[in-house]
Amino acid sequence: MLLQSIVNGILFGAVYATIGIGFSLVWGVMNIINVAHGSFIMIGAYLSYTFYTAFGLDPFLSIPLNMVILFAMGYLIQKFVLNRVVRGSVFITLTFTFGLQILIANICLLIWSADYHSIKLSYSSAGITIGSIVIPLVRLGIFLAALVLTGLFYLFMRRTKIGVAINATALNFEGAKTVGIDVGNIYAITFGVSAALAGAAGALISPIMSVNPFLGGSLVGKAFVIAILGGLGSTIGALAGGMVLGLVETVGTVFLPSSFQELLGFLVLVLVLVFRPQGLLGKRFYE
Amino acid sequence: MKRKIIIPALLMLLFISVPFVFSGFWVRLITYILMFSVLASALNIISGFTGYAAFGNMVFFGLGAYTTAVLMSKGGFAFFPALLLSGAIAVVAAVLLGMLLLRLKGHYFALGTLGAAEAIKYTVENLTGLTEGGQGITVPPLRGSPAVVNGFFYFFMLLLLIAILVVAWRISKNRLGYAFKAIRANEQAAGVMGINTTRYKIISWSLSAVFTGITGSVYAYWFSYIDPPTVFDVMWVIKMFVMILIGGAGTVFGPVIGAFILETISELVWSRFINLHLGMLGLIIILVVLFMPNGLISLVTTGRGLKDIIKNLHRGTESRL
Repeated sequence: MLLQSIVNGILFGAVYATIGIGFSLVWGVMNIINVAHGSFIMIGAYLSYTFYTAFGLDPFLSIPLNMVILFAMGYLIQKFVLNRVVRGSVFITLTFTFGLQILIANICLLIWSADYHSIKLSYSSAGITIGSIVIPLVRLGIFLAALVLTGLFYLFMRRTKIGVAINATALNFEGAKTVGIDVGNIYAITFGVSAALAGAAGALISPIMSVNPFLGGSLVGKAFVIAILGGLGSTIGALAGGMVLGLVETVGTVFLPSSFQELLGFLVLVLVLVFRPQGLLGKRFYE
Repeated sequence: MKRKIIIPALLMLLFISVPFVFSGFWVRLITYILMFSVLASALNIISGFTGYAAFGNMVFFGLGAYTTAVLMSKGGFAFFPALLLSGAIAVVAAVLLGMLLLRLKGHYFALGTLGAAEAIKYTVENLTGLTEGGQGITVPPLRGSPAVVNGFFYFFMLLLLIAILVVAWRISKNRLGYAFKAIRANEQAAGVMGINTTRYKIISWSLSAVFTGITGSVYAYWFSYIDPPTVFDVMWVIKMFVMILIGGAGTVFGPVIGAFILETISELVWSRFINLHLGMLGLIIILVVLFMPNGLISLVTTGRGLKDIIKNLHRGTESRL
């Protein structure tokens, strides 16, 4: 029972990592807490659902499609709207992204109705049994896909020119401008990449969670926790944060009633904020 | 000098006459707007005056509402003692949370308050023995004819609003307010100048909390049924922030103006289109933040006309990249 929940926690923790990386990227680079991040994941899940029901496309195969669509959406939002307020105070940008979140929730409500939608895959009950532990194939696939995405993102930030430019802009805004980086464009790309990761995360959760227009709100709460746990701007930190949240939630419910699951996450958030604001692994990176 | 007396006197007369002139629907609607005016004004003290974005401020509303509900339904308390205790609990919570969270700055504080508010919401939900948990709790309602009940809550909210406006007005003119504003402008410098920043931040948040908690208490008695998702709803705080933005942050009357504008539009226009209600609110939030983050009051204080602002829309604000 305990072992099984540890396995479940680690498997789902990788998805949490994907969610946290996109969220903390925007926060770290532009100093924006994007409350709509959960809604982007939700859009991803809806897209996968739609591709599956309309064309029979497996959710794992809709990952790249989701990423392209969400990248475009994120890029445009940042380029034409968010760049206009990005230098504002906390409560300007935070209120703004809240507005975006409920706008998206309402649009999804109009398109997909308030019903719960879920995908039932033909191989959803298949699994590998090791001793007393069962590893469902779907969850294993999700885990591996999330790890691959995390690895690709890590390489993108380290090895590509755009990735380096994003890092440079995050570390020194004025300096980046001086050396000729188009910061407006870099901001738009950053937001696009974050949204693309959210889109991928949406595809990953679609076979195991049902989606409704209010899913975005609860997912963004998780993103807060993961980002704070991992520390800003650190891919490895987000991976660790995701795993920790996954474990805290699944293992916690072995000892406590499941209604405490949400409580635990937020409790961890507050404690880490107060006692280790630089994250579990991270150094003090920004500010 | 004459205008300074006549306008408030006329406004007072207008507000006092509401329950005697309008029907029950309107009295309840205006009571609701008054409630949001109090809440937004209370949030304005910590966020507008002092510059700390307390996105978890609903925690005091929820605690106040639940204190009253539990005391009245389980403890046999009358409303007024329960109300006073609700205010006290809110202050205690603000001092304790403040000691933990007010050390954090900017986004970290905002997230910390959100996290604490959610954690407390789930705690209330899990204390089923005391709070009845997620199914909500009923409060013994005020007995009397609808007109009397409506009038009672109307005048109660009106009194609360007058009280917080007097407090905000006094603060904006005295030492306390200068300390708050100094913290907002530059906390480090304020500390160097000899302001005990921690103490003033906690005072500021406690002031905000006591009004929010008492409003929560009145809400519980008024609606006579509450549940955790409603009284701890983060969306309410977002609405308050939008009201503050519409009216003008850090001003005395801005939040009230914002509350009247937003809630009037919301109740009269969108409530007819239930499917679009949320989306319209989202759109308004985005437009307000994009085009008038300094609020309507800035039209008066800066002397810039509405025409100027419309002419300069494409340029954006100082928050632009």
